[in-house]
Formats: sequence, structure tokens, C-alpha cells
Amino acid sequence: MSTDSVIKIKDLHFSYDGPKILEDIEINIRRNEFIGMVGPNGSGKTTLLKIIMGVLTPSKGFVEVLGKPPFQSVKEIGYMPQLTPFSRDFPIRVEDVVLMGRLGKTSRIGFFSKTDKRAAEKSMDDVGVLDLRKRAIGSLSGGQLQRVLIARALTCEPKIMILDEPTANVDMKIEKDIFNLLKQLNANITIIVVTHDIGFISQYINRVACINRTLICHPTSELTGETIENMYGTHMHMVHHHRD
Amino acid sequence: MQNAIVGSILASVACGVIGSYVVVKRIGYLAGGIAHSVLGGMGIAYYLSRPPIEGALVAALVFAMILGWVSLRLKQQEDTVIGALWAGGMAVGILFISQTPGYNIDLMSFLFGNILMISFDDLFWIAGLDVLILIIVFLFYKQFLAVSFDEEFARLRGMPVERFYLLFLVLVALTVVILIQIVGLILVIALLTLPAAISGHYVRSLNLMMLFATFLGMFFTMGGLAISYHPDLPPGPTIILVAGAFYLLSLVSARFWKKS
Repeated sequence: MSTDSVIKIKDLHFSYDGPKILEDIEINIRRNEFIGMVGPNGSGKTTLLKIIMGVLTPSKGFVEVLGKPPFQSVKEIGYMPQLTPFSRDFPIRVEDVVLMGRLGKTSRIGFFSKTDKRAAEKSMDDVGVLDLRKRAIGSLSGGQLQRVLIARALTCEPKIMILDEPTANVDMKIEKDIFNLLKQLNANITIIVVTHDIGFISQYINRVACINRTLICHPTSELTGETIENMYGTHMHMVHHHRD
Repeated sequence: MQNAIVGSILASVACGVIGSYVVVKRIGYLAGGIAHSVLGGMGIAYYLSRPPIEGALVAALVFAMILGWVSLRLKQQEDTVIGALWAGGMAVGILFISQTPGYNIDLMSFLFGNILMISFDDLFWIAGLDVLILIIVFLFYKQFLAVSFDEEFARLRGMPVERFYLLFLVLVALTVVILIQIVGLILVIALLTLPAAISGHYVRSLNLMMLFATFLGMFFTMGGLAISYHPDLPPGPTIILVAGAFYLLSLVSARFWKKS
């Protein structure tokens, strides 16, 4: 594994006019690391991801992604959202959805090129949905849809992939399939995955980033079942308005 | 009559292409706001003895920009602001028309269209706007698709989402101006959305949806024209009722289509 850093964050603070959402965040993510990001709802996970992708600007601090300011490097990031914001009856085929990952890489005007289509085919093949390419997006099962969204994130040939709870709506078997797939992709791509299921993913990831306004990083080798319990328990305990 | 047929064919192109976007992006209400507020521009043009289509074009573009800005910046009040502009624009139009000397026959044709009175000049305008709309859609097809399908993702791919949204509203405005010539501004929304909505019941991609919606638009406008001709009914409302009837039929039959 190469040791050069792809995401460098130092002394980062963020708030929307009110109380601090993120405080004194510091992390250095190296190439081809597989990072699990955990934290209760409202802990600032999504905010931190948005800062890394250049959608939000930190109130204070330093962020560099692939050696550039985030808004310049966002095109190199493959993103898979937590919830699918689109309507399932939208008339669109799987391959057209996957092609959208090429935006930012393809020409500004006209239709998608042969290169774009080849990239889309390759990523559909990589995640095993090539046979679904002509299907309407609304006709897919939950697990198939998650794979298609991973393919879309892959089509830009990203250096970094960010997945926000990619297995929130699928069963254990599909969850396992998806993480096995991510592990394969991890050979060439740095992966950050937001999840609540820290016990399950510890076998896949290198480090866990625990966020709850502040960030603490643990190498997976330090994690035992008990420390996971304690860590998550402590963090849950710190948030007085949690729902679980 | 010849003009009417050519007019309906030309209008159906814009209606099928832009109507499909309006349906999948679910901005029918916003498009309705643009359509109705356009009466303000038509009334002013009428008062100044200019061709109403010029006033309609200016008003549609101005209102599209205002509504676009509102829906991007004042998301919470979007509904109210659209309603206010909708009614305000119509009120301005009616005031100007009432102050114009002479018979106010034209008010009815603004509101409900008069495809049989469509002039050669109007056809020229419609054809020009069609070409403009098609060029823009061909250039930015993938961006419009991305913005209507998943705006957040499009933004994360570094796309200027807001600029495309405004450009898209300009296209809606141009389409509305075209369709007003056929069915009048009250009925525009039905012609803009019904063919596309029917088409959406059966297809799996946006470009097919547009194509199918365009043919449906031609079928409805010409069908309505034909039905209205002998009993001497107003063609605009007849066209809308034909489209509406097919929409209801399709809504029912699409349930069986999807299940099988």
C-alpha cells in the first residue's frame, strides 16, 4: 500500500451560524485505505462528506483532496448517496443512470461519447449488473439498485469513492456481497463508507473514523468486539437526543 | 385550416420534448404560473397595438427568470410566489385589454386559443422557436436529463445545476408561448403535460418518452381539430378534452400493462 495521502484535513471547524457541528477535525487518509465512518445521527458525518466533496466550505481549517481544494477534485470522487432522491417511476434505463457518472469527464455539449459508453459498460460489468442494462430503474430490486448506484459512482473512474450507508435498505446477504465487491474495488480506489454496522464491516476496513462533532480514528487491529461496543455505546451515550 | 394543421404539428414537437421534462421534473405548477402570467405581456402588447406573441415571449421569459430565482432562493415561499405571479400577471393583462379601445374579442382567443385563426407569421414564429428549443436540447440533453433525474448527484459531478435549471425554464417559457397559439393560456398546461404523462406510462427512457409524446400531441391536436370542425366547436377545449380522455384511459390501462 502506498503511503501518500489523498485526503488531508487539519484543524477543521464547521457551523451554520449556530453551534459547532464539526470541531477540530484532523485526519489523513492514505491512498487505497478503506475507511469506515461511524457516528450517531446528526453527528456531522454528512457535513464532513459534503466538505470533502466541496459542497460546503469549512468555517475554519485546511482541507485538501488529491492535493487540490475540494471543489476542484470533486470530479475524481465517485459518490453513492444514502437515499435515492429520484422517483422510481422516472423513465430511465440502468445504462443511462450509470452514464451520468461520466458528467464532469465527458464533453460539455452533445451526447455521451463511445468512451463514456465503454466506461459505463466496464463499471456495470465490474459490479455485475451488465445484464440489467436495458431494464427500467423502477423495476430493480433493492440490491440491484444499490449495485447500479455503485456502478454509477464507478463510471467516472474515481480515485476516491464515498458511499453513504450503501447497505441501509438491503438484507445481510446482499450487504455481504456489496462489501466483498467494495473490497475488490479497494485494490485501486480509496474508499470511505458511512455505516452503522461497525461490527460487520470491521473485517473489511483498515480504520474506523468515529465522528461526533469531533473525530477519533481507530485502526481496525485495535478493535475487539468489546471495544466496538464500548466505543459506539460511549458515543451514543454522549448524544442526549438520540432515538435508539 | 392548412395553417392550423401545420401549427399543431409544429407545436407538438415542443410540447412533446419540453412536456416530458416538465412531467418527470414535476414542475407542472411552475409551468402553469409561467403560462398564466404571460397574459400580462399579451395585454400590454395588445394595448400598444403590437402582435400579442411578442408580448407573450417577453413576459414568458421575464416570468420564467423570476420564478426560477424564487424557486432556487426562496424554496419555502415558492408556492405562494408562483400563485401571486400567476394571478398578478393575468390581472395586468386584463387591465390593459380593458383599456384598449375597440372590441375585446381577442381576450377569449388569448385565454382559450384560436388555432383556426393562426396566421402565416405565427407559424413562422412557432417554427423558429421549435428549432431553437431543439438545438438547445440536443446540445445539453445529458445535463437536462441529469438535473431532472438526480440534482444532487449532478451537482457533485461539478455541474452548474442552477444555470441549467434556469435555461430549462427558458425552454418552458418558449414552449408555453408556442402552445398558447394553439390552445390558449388557460389550457396550455394540459397540452404540455398530458401527452408526456401518457407516454411516461409505457416507455423506459426519456428520449422515447419525448418521441411518443410528440406523436400523441399531434394526434390530440389534429383529432380535436377534426372533431370540432363540423359541429363548429371551439378547437382548443376540444383538443384538451380529447387529451384528457386518453389520459384517463391510459391511467387505467397502464395498471394492467405494468402488472403483466
